[in-house]
Amino acid sequence: MTSARRLGWVLLGGIALAWLPWALSEYHTHICIVSLYYVILAIGWNLLAGYAGQFSLAHHTFAGIGAYTSALLVHHTGVPIVVGIAAGVVLASAVGYVLGTLCLRMRAIYLALATWAFAESVRLLIQVEYGFTRGDLGFRTPLLFGTPHPTKYFYLFLGVALAVGLVARRLIGSRVGTYLRAIRDDEEAAATMGIDTFKWKRAAFVISAAFAALGGGLLGHYIGLLSPSPMKFNEMAMIIIMVVVGGLRTFPGPIIGAIFIELLSELLRGWGEIRMVLFALLVLVVVRAYPAGLLGLTGAALSVMRNRGPVRFSRRSASR
Amino acid sequence: MQALLQLEGVHAGYVEGIDILAGIDLRVERGTITGIIGPNGAGKSTLLRTIFGFLHPHRGRVVFDGEEIHGLAPHAVKRRGIGYVTQGANIFPQLTVDENLRLGAWVLRRERGRVAALIDHAYTAFPRLAARRRMRATMLSGGEAKMLSLAKEAMTEPRLLLVDEPSAGLAPRITDQIYARLLETRERGLTILLVDQNIAKAVEVSDYVYLIERGQVHREGPRESFAPHLRDIIRDALLGA
Repeated sequence: MTSARRLGWVLLGGIALAWLPWALSEYHTHICIVSLYYVILAIGWNLLAGYAGQFSLAHHTFAGIGAYTSALLVHHTGVPIVVGIAAGVVLASAVGYVLGTLCLRMRAIYLALATWAFAESVRLLIQVEYGFTRGDLGFRTPLLFGTPHPTKYFYLFLGVALAVGLVARRLIGSRVGTYLRAIRDDEEAAATMGIDTFKWKRAAFVISAAFAALGGGLLGHYIGLLSPSPMKFNEMAMIIIMVVVGGLRTFPGPIIGAIFIELLSELLRGWGEIRMVLFALLVLVVVRAYPAGLLGLTGAALSVMRNRGPVRFSRRSASR
Repeated sequence: MQALLQLEGVHAGYVEGIDILAGIDLRVERGTITGIIGPNGAGKSTLLRTIFGFLHPHRGRVVFDGEEIHGLAPHAVKRRGIGYVTQGANIFPQLTVDENLRLGAWVLRRERGRVAALIDHAYTAFPRLAARRRMRATMLSGGEAKMLSLAKEAMTEPRLLLVDEPSAGLAPRITDQIYARLLETRERGLTILLVDQNIAKAVEVSDYVYLIERGQVHREGPRESFAPHLRDIIRDALLGA
């Protein structure tokens, strides 16, 4: 595709997205905002788990840390909301640094267990310390734009998701992305090449934590009510499902997956918790049949349409 | 003159209270191949891992070119001029032969001209790799993978090359080629510390040999002093006596 045509598509897409809140009802715009929130989270987790191979189960917790830090700070000290959100990102990054350091020597299942334990501890702490956090009663926090009307928030989330995506894209394409992939494929070989494996694993933790906290902080001040229940494991499962269904270790995968699963989840709201069973089945099918996820499926469908015959996108071609 | 690498009373292990290395003293002189032989479980590979910083000794010193390096992380050891060819082929299977060699020279990536020259040199030394330069490393045979691993480590022109079991699992003809490359590398002025199960071959190419048993130096000396007793040493090593 020539750069002029590409620019044309980007412009067209931009106009379509900008026009979206005018075309949709408030409720549907709200769904789009939540989708964008998940896009931010999924991009961060894909960076950590997909590219660096660090299968953390505490990603949703960092979003919670971002949200609660900002809400509590705004409530108790009266700082502007923007400062609160920034503080949440800083605190989550610091916590990510410490957690990353503690988990540096752990591999695979041990890392997953340790981060899961951390996630549950934080959630219980927020639940139990209700004198400070109001626990399950929910913590009210002021709205960022003073109104619950979603249009402005939509543009904000769109901008932030775009920014997070661009930063992630730059990272993946840079030498840091190469380091992370090398560490994932063979940590020892990466070290013999002269890569400081500890430093970069920790960096991946910090960056993904910061992304999650930013998303969490913003969502908190959009919804206006925080509670520990979105910090349950279900939420983490949703992020994993989104990334895997979209396409783990690919750049567009988590974006497609987040939007697809969130929309599907809303569509099937009437089914209640049965949805999770359905999603789990979906993950099994994707992992078995199309490891490159929806992205691989779309690619294969496109090439069929161009009469080039079916192409199965393997994980190999997706991870390059 | 001071040795390039010197280990003094090194104790190291994976679990507290169990030393795999129980007080090793060792010297690697410049421009030589130093061979380390011994039975299974003697601590040969652990010794290399300790020098490279994957494992930190809890007692003793590792001195490289006058500087203490024990306690440094692997990437820092690498930066001081030590290369490590691990026992498993430490190559990236999904990348091509050419990309693997480029990654080997990662720390030199800003010096494009030098990297190009080094890659040319690697292909001259290993013509089999030159013929497969665009192939993914996963398609290589065991011997070719080992050659790539060796060539990749030599890319940075380290001052000391640690080589772990270069002949493990390879056909004798391939093994001969690998040892020929090691000797050639020494001619270029590189110092090599070689760990090997193939005792006869290791003694043949080494200038100085250490026999290690249960984490301690059992016997040491120049190649000539080992050659007459080779049969006894091999028998003892195999029987673990």
